[in-house]
Amino acid sequence: MTDNWNLLGHAWAVDMLRRHIVTGETRHAYLIAGPPGVGRRSLALAFARALNCSNPPAPGDFCGACRNCKQIDAMQHPDLAVIQAESEGGILKVDQVREIKRTVSLKPYQSSYRIALFLRFQEANDNASNALLKTLEEAPAYAILLLTADSPESLLPTVVSRCEVLRLRPLKVGEVETKLEGRGIEGSLAKTIAHLSGGRPGYANRLLADKSLMEFRSARLDDLQKLLSASRVDKFSYAEKLAKEKDAMRESLLLWLSLWRDVFIRAAKSDAPLSNVDRAEWIESLAGGLSVAQARKVVTAHESALRRLERNVNARLLAEVLLMDLPK
Amino acid sequence: MSQALYRKYRPQGWAEVVGQQHVLQTLRNAIAADRVAHAYLFAGPRGTGKTTLARLLAKAVNCLNEDKSKRPCNECDYCRAVSENRFLDLIEIDAASNNGIEDVRELRDKINFAPTQGKYKIYIIDEVHMLSTPAFNALLKTLEEPPPHAIFVLATTEIHKIPATVLSRCQRHEFRRVPVDEIVANLQHIAAAENIQADDDALALIARQSAGGMRDAQSLLDQLSSTGERITMELAQTVLGTATSQTVLDLVASILDGEAARGLEAIHHALDGGVDPRSLARQIVDYLRGLMLIQMGNESQVETTKDIKAKMSAHASALTPADVLRMMRIFNEAATDSRGSWQPSLSLELAFAETLEAPAESAPVTRSTPKQSAKPSASQLTPVVVSTSSEKSGATAPTIPASEIIKVWKSFQAILKKESASNLAALLNSVTAIDVQGNTLVLGFASDVLMSKMKEEEKKRASQLIADALGVTLDIRCEVANARGKVPPHVPQDGMVATAIHQGGEIVDVQE
Repeated sequence: MTDNWNLLGHAWAVDMLRRHIVTGETRHAYLIAGPPGVGRRSLALAFARALNCSNPPAPGDFCGACRNCKQIDAMQHPDLAVIQAESEGGILKVDQVREIKRTVSLKPYQSSYRIALFLRFQEANDNASNALLKTLEEAPAYAILLLTADSPESLLPTVVSRCEVLRLRPLKVGEVETKLEGRGIEGSLAKTIAHLSGGRPGYANRLLADKSLMEFRSARLDDLQKLLSASRVDKFSYAEKLAKEKDAMRESLLLWLSLWRDVFIRAAKSDAPLSNVDRAEWIESLAGGLSVAQARKVVTAHESALRRLERNVNARLLAEVLLMDLPK
Repeated sequence: MSQALYRKYRPQGWAEVVGQQHVLQTLRNAIAADRVAHAYLFAGPRGTGKTTLARLLAKAVNCLNEDKSKRPCNECDYCRAVSENRFLDLIEIDAASNNGIEDVRELRDKINFAPTQGKYKIYIIDEVHMLSTPAFNALLKTLEEPPPHAIFVLATTEIHKIPATVLSRCQRHEFRRVPVDEIVANLQHIAAAENIQADDDALALIARQSAGGMRDAQSLLDQLSSTGERITMELAQTVLGTATSQTVLDLVASILDGEAARGLEAIHHALDGGVDPRSLARQIVDYLRGLMLIQMGNESQVETTKDIKAKMSAHASALTPADVLRMMRIFNEAATDSRGSWQPSLSLELAFAETLEAPAESAPVTRSTPKQSAKPSASQLTPVVVSTSSEKSGATAPTIPASEIIKVWKSFQAILKKESASNLAALLNSVTAIDVQGNTLVLGFASDVLMSKMKEEEKKRASQLIADALGVTLDIRCEVANARGKVPPHVPQDGMVATAIHQGGEIVDVQE
């Protein structure tokens, strides 16, 4: 079916939402859950356009050219309210929710639906989630609430049970690769990025748009390669450097975690797709020297380090312990 | 826009309410006997009917039907007004967004006015657990003695957040999870009314997934019906992301055989097919729970087909109860892991790998606390091997272990203080290291200044103290221990300890 939704993957979700519009069975609240970068926001915005398009080419579709469509695309539509925490990893506060409850109770200004889009709702604190409950259960007929979150489990169960839940899953790596190649990206780069994204087109786009991300990645992986054979003194001085910037440290740990997961998979002799295909040789050689249990321990160590970092432990101590425990 | 099923099928009469017979009976009797209390508290898990029953109560007390036992009649003006959400004397307050003391004060100001339409004014305070403490306290007097025309119904999912002073002023009703078969019956009823084609086993799956919450079940039915196809088991499983038991069987089999690759393959295969990793983990836990039940002789409680039961029995006999418990704990951790990882399957993979390992080296659930060092309370006294720069001590075995001396070291200070020799007591307290080499007790001091104070007389006194306490006579030699940044010769020059000392560390404790 041709359409303007223009989303990669999630065909079942698109079909379902479109059918809701066509049959007039739209629900008043949807929860779109999935890993970051998988296309949650794009899906929500496309749905919002399809709901409010003033000139739909086909039922359940949108033109993308009318005033409503353009304004929603730019997130500047008067009937579309976007609510999110101030920064990623921040907290969505109760005042923001109260404000939106007021706007939702007003009739739409220029289109048929008033839409409230809550991004990353797992960042809402308890007060904010609770304040939304009543509106979420019985919203006015012209209002539609769209929530996005990492997973339904990270929200209050009372919130989830009031929404229709769409669980978006990562796409197959091959699909992302084909799409990237279709956009004229050179084969090996497309392959690397598609694997890195783990089937999340949004993340792949970010990697493409921001060259520094890829440079950062290869620098940090090279660092890891050097660290494995480095002396303790070197490791300590690297840990000191690493712990200076917390955000960069988190990013590095994530990169290393993905690499060690690849090693773990190869150590278990599974041939599942790797995330870091461009480093396949190194991964194979590392995996050759480790047992499954050893590899698992390294992955677990990185995971718990990430978790501890969020809980504000001493970053330098954490980095030192992690580097000391790396296999030789 | 059509209404969601859970709004459309909100019960409008007592008879439509599913489950909660114990609450229902009390309320109906109260209405029939005209003995309605002035404050109710409805508590229970989500989707069990708290708001619904609160509205029904509001309808019933104001109903105009002559026969009290038939209220609410759903025919009189007031009943219809309540159903259509336009009854003036039903005031529904969302405590989560009106949680301040100001909101409660406003309520108190207005409650004294007589009802405009009906006989009673009903205040439904939903999500009442979100009221702030001052707001709760401001409500207390009104809640205890409201005007005769007012009835309060408080509803909450989190009863533990309600102050005891509020609890004691309300008639409290606990709502229970709705049993699976009652949910199924209700879903069948809705499916028939909405012309939804649905298989019974699919409805049973929905009911089980919703864990006793009627709204959850109706939302799921809504979601499944919106695909427009007949609701079959397969469709329900795809949309709900519940795994087929084949994956679980494969996984448990590969754990039994210790085949890592095959297990990971099974996981990836299931996830590629659209299974949600967390619900897969939950299914594994469910299966393991079945194994545990079989092992404990409760086979009748396991509800599955005969084929699967046969396999379960085989698995149950191949594993020990301790193994099953361990695996359950590990997978349960993966199932409840709420972090949105960049790789959703990771926690499941790790859990699987962990179960493959021998229990002795993993057992992460009971992490042992770091060993307490055996040093005496707060003193800096430590059994450090002080550098043996020369061989003059003859490197003979110590006549008494250093740890014995450390044990009695504290008591020396008490003795010395009694003799008002507090200088020596302080000096002994400043000793940072104690070691015994042959017949010589080596005391380590932090600096030359301290060491120089330990003269012959002091040495003699200390040696006598030891003789009194332990019955051995030792010569005493003093040294400066662990000058900062200098690595003692007995420590490997390229080891962890040496690195730590180079970075400014000190040796404070040596454990064998």
